[in-house]
Amino acid sequence: MTPVLASATLSGPHVDFAGLSPLLALLGGAVVVLLVGLLGSRWVRAQVVPALSLVALGTALGLTIWQWGEEKSILAGALRIDDLSLVLTMILTVGGIATVLLAWRSLAAREAAHGEFHALLLTSIGGMTLLAAAQNTVMLFVGLELLSIPLYVLCATEMRREHSLESGLKYLIVGSVGSATLLYGLALIYGATGATDFTTIASAISTKGLSSDVLLLTGIALCLVGLAFKSSVAPFHQWTPDVYEGAPTPVTAFMAVATKVAALGVFLRFFDVALVEAQSSWGPAVATLAALTIIVGNVGALGQSSLKRMLAYSSVAQAGYMLAGVVVSTQLGVRATVFYLAIYLFMNMAAFAVIIARERQAGLGDNVQSVAGLGRSDPWLAWPLTLSMLSLAGIPATAGFIGKFYLIDAAVAGGYTWLGVVIVIGSMISLGYYLPVIATMWMADAPAPLPALAGGSPELDEDLSSPSVKGVQPEVLLVAVLAGAATLFFGIVPQPLFDLVHGVGSGFGLF
Amino acid sequence: MSATTYGWLVLLFPLLGMLTIAFGYKAFPGRTAGWIGTGAIFLAFLAALGALLEIQSLSPAHRQVTSSLWNYANTVGVNAQLSILVDPLSVFMILIVSGVSTLIHLYSISYMDKDKGFNRYFAYLNFFVFSMLLLVLAGNFLLLIVGWAFVGAASYLLISFWYRRTTATKAGIKAFVINVVGDVGLVLGTYFIFKHTHTLDFLQTFHVAGQVFTHNEADLVAGCILLLVGAFAKSAQIPLHTWLPDAMEGPTPVSALIHAATMVTAGVYLIARMHVLFELAPIAQDVGAVVGAVTLFVAGTIGLVQTDIKRVIAYSTMSQIGYMIMGVSVGAYAAGLFHLMTHAFFKALLFMAAGSIIGAMGGEQSLNRMGGFRKAMPFTFGCFIIGGLALSGIPPFSGFFSKDEILLVTGELGGWHWALYVMGYIGAFLTAVYTFRMIFRAFYGDPVPEAQELEAGHLHHPEHPTNPATGEIEDTDVGFPGPTHAIAERALPMKVAMCILAVGSVGLGLLQIPNVDFVIDDFLRPSFAGSAVYETHTKDGLLAFGLLLGTVLGLAGIALAWRVWVARVGGRLSPAKLQARWHAVYELLAHKWWFDELIDGLIVRPMATAGRFAAGTFERAVVEGGLIDGTVSVVRAGSAAVRAVQSGLVRYYAAALVLGVAAIGFYFLLQS
Repeated sequence: MTPVLASATLSGPHVDFAGLSPLLALLGGAVVVLLVGLLGSRWVRAQVVPALSLVALGTALGLTIWQWGEEKSILAGALRIDDLSLVLTMILTVGGIATVLLAWRSLAAREAAHGEFHALLLTSIGGMTLLAAAQNTVMLFVGLELLSIPLYVLCATEMRREHSLESGLKYLIVGSVGSATLLYGLALIYGATGATDFTTIASAISTKGLSSDVLLLTGIALCLVGLAFKSSVAPFHQWTPDVYEGAPTPVTAFMAVATKVAALGVFLRFFDVALVEAQSSWGPAVATLAALTIIVGNVGALGQSSLKRMLAYSSVAQAGYMLAGVVVSTQLGVRATVFYLAIYLFMNMAAFAVIIARERQAGLGDNVQSVAGLGRSDPWLAWPLTLSMLSLAGIPATAGFIGKFYLIDAAVAGGYTWLGVVIVIGSMISLGYYLPVIATMWMADAPAPLPALAGGSPELDEDLSSPSVKGVQPEVLLVAVLAGAATLFFGIVPQPLFDLVHGVGSGFGLF
Repeated sequence: MSATTYGWLVLLFPLLGMLTIAFGYKAFPGRTAGWIGTGAIFLAFLAALGALLEIQSLSPAHRQVTSSLWNYANTVGVNAQLSILVDPLSVFMILIVSGVSTLIHLYSISYMDKDKGFNRYFAYLNFFVFSMLLLVLAGNFLLLIVGWAFVGAASYLLISFWYRRTTATKAGIKAFVINVVGDVGLVLGTYFIFKHTHTLDFLQTFHVAGQVFTHNEADLVAGCILLLVGAFAKSAQIPLHTWLPDAMEGPTPVSALIHAATMVTAGVYLIARMHVLFELAPIAQDVGAVVGAVTLFVAGTIGLVQTDIKRVIAYSTMSQIGYMIMGVSVGAYAAGLFHLMTHAFFKALLFMAAGSIIGAMGGEQSLNRMGGFRKAMPFTFGCFIIGGLALSGIPPFSGFFSKDEILLVTGELGGWHWALYVMGYIGAFLTAVYTFRMIFRAFYGDPVPEAQELEAGHLHHPEHPTNPATGEIEDTDVGFPGPTHAIAERALPMKVAMCILAVGSVGLGLLQIPNVDFVIDDFLRPSFAGSAVYETHTKDGLLAFGLLLGTVLGLAGIALAWRVWVARVGGRLSPAKLQARWHAVYELLAHKWWFDELIDGLIVRPMATAGRFAAGTFERAVVEGGLIDGTVSVVRAGSAAVRAVQSGLVRYYAAALVLGVAAIGFYFLLQS
């Protein structure tokens, strides 16, 4: 040990536990859940563990509300607690609660011994909240990995199903490439600006006049690619349909909603704070990617017979819509994006809850035929899915209409009118795959029950293909009905959400 | 409770009634749904009374109260609120709408008793009343448009209520299409005004109107005339009137409710509500006054020759609404609204009495088949006489005071308004003639077989029910009228409703007797506080002359009708001889001035021809071939392409990734 090091006093940053509390609740919950999951009793594992996860998520949500209104940088500027990170944390925890409810009696949770499943889920949400608050590039990367690695595992939790394993492996490979690309980009940006902190990067770009610096621009390009991977932006979306289709449906629901929230959140903060001075360079590129994403997502979703695959493409398209709010770099754009993220949660949760309910009931997997005749046989499931489809398509009186209107308004006000037009065209195409679902539900007859297949392992049959429950499980129905009701409610009374997102861009120094 | 709380309750009860009946219809046996519907509207009426008491307890300067339940959207320059405006004008309207509607609901319980669509009928009826109340309580343009459109939709549902009758569904479509023309006018008019005022709220609009608009400014005149288009379509004024007579295809209580007492008065209400804007745009006011006068005259003449009893009353409605539109357009707001109120009573009474006699005829509506019902239906006859005298403006019945007040204000304006004054009195004479022609033809003369049967104590019941318009044979299942009919003499709810309306028709005129009392004037004054013309000095000479002239013309009309249709002893004045002598005039009137044919020739046919031509050429080649097939194949090809690269093999994804990174990297390098 050299004398210099010995004499140096190492002082850690001041830790603001209040600001950190939602994250602590999530990660602490993950540890507790993992340990409780080791207990022998089957009942404890199957019932107490998810209940504890709900407690952890509820606590995190409560703490987030408690922190509402704070504007501060914590951990020596590594994290930013403001309206944006708090709203995103709220969306994430609500999405997490819905996921836990959907996974309560799922095969995936059972196969992964409950404790592991929920611990991974909570850790991933923790990573997402970290990402939503990240204010330097190191924290950004840590958050991104913390959210990604548990997800790779979660995708593969139905261990005896080949598709689930394939999905997990694919996600791992593609996700790692994305992470590596992002890391490379972050390194180049550090090389160009000499800073890791977002605000310092921004001031370095403007004071040193770096906006056309090769090193910086290459770094931006690689970061853009890396984040595009995570938020499934075309042409880096190709993992999405495969992974969404293969993953256990509750995990798909979680990925569709939460990953998108975290990725778009970091898009907003990284591009509209750190790189805002170079907006004239990256703006057109991101806008082009957004347009491409909208077209590819909507066109790809046409004619899909698997509902999960259809929703995967739809989520690609929706990511494109939301990028429009990022591109314009205005307060209005930030608000519109966050507003859309909030309603996106409800629309997708309603749809996935119904798919899960039908998977467990009808024995047709996630094929669109599984909802045929649902309008007559079970209107409580048919209505949420109908509302969700209408809302995703942006039909008035649903939240999706208001959200899309807001995004288009932001795009036009920010000088990207053509992107607004692309959003409208995309919505028109999207009716081509949303409406057939509704038509199948209300106008087609329920398919005749399939004859039992001979052969195969009896226990496998029991676990994987045959309907395991007769009625709809109440917790799944609850998620479907609440999310569907919220979709309708915020379409009629959007003002509470407008108020919620009003301040999300205030810390940004944008117009 | 505050006045606005009562206002919200007025909206809540009909909405709840509609939802209860609509969702619970399977559970309600017998007449339950009818009583629920009636009770809901009656509660709304009580709440309206509460609002009246509350608003009167405020000082006159503060009698315009708004309340917002929530913001629909407050962003991007539009503040859209769910807000109502409770002031004397809206309270006046909700009292009439909910009061008359309660009685019509009550009447319907008996009248629709055996109809197979009983529960559906009351759900629609509640929805209609809710829409109308929303229209008059709306505190901003947005909610007004919503209520306006809801009323149109509800009237479509009710006119086409017997949906297996082709004539009824066609009439419903006609009404809906013409109403939508009006909706477009209303929306565009709102836009013209919003463009300058930047607010949707009524009170704020009126507040800033004087500052942002100059006298007769082009945009304001255009906006007001577009609002008038909306008003004309709802209130059946020329040339958007043709739906109203056809709308008589609906059940008779529906005709009483929406085509006499409430819906058609929406246009009058709109002009009164927007008086601040109209006073700044006198050109639009003149348009309204002239159209009202022309309508009252034309409709009066058509009423002379119609043979369908409900259509006679329908044309009389058009004519009377013409008086009101003329009144509120020349600044006689209180008089126009006063006439609106008295008309709601006596016209609902006439429709109900007509429903009773149609019931006695077993669904037949033609005056040619009726006659001599005086002894068989004394109560209905009495109601017809009271309603007829009120409609003809004979003192001291209510129509006398209200109609003359409108004409008095018109006359006082002088100048070319004298022409309107004269037309108004000609209209009054025609009104008396056609009203009593109808009464005399139905009740006097030799009793027809149906009347004789009824005198013998048995209600006529046709063996094969037919459509009164076409004579087609019908069954009595859902979608057609029920198997039995009701008459007021034998159904207590109908009798009660008609008695109350009869009392109102006789007595309501006493609320405002010239130079004696001014109840309506005083009550409405706070709503028209900013108006320059609300207070007018009455010339006593003109007043006395008008009252006398009105009485004389009314009595002369009745005498003429008596001479022609009762004392017809083959003299020069028998209907057949008159018809032969004035053949051209008769043809004009019997064809309703050829308005249907005019609209058909000017608009419907050219449009249809152009449409067919476009469908054959442009549509097939460009739209279907190019736009649709082209787009579909492009999208389909794109879909195939996206799926083709979606091979499921990670190595291809890696290749796409490399290409993507290269492209983006290249772009950014170009930027440097």
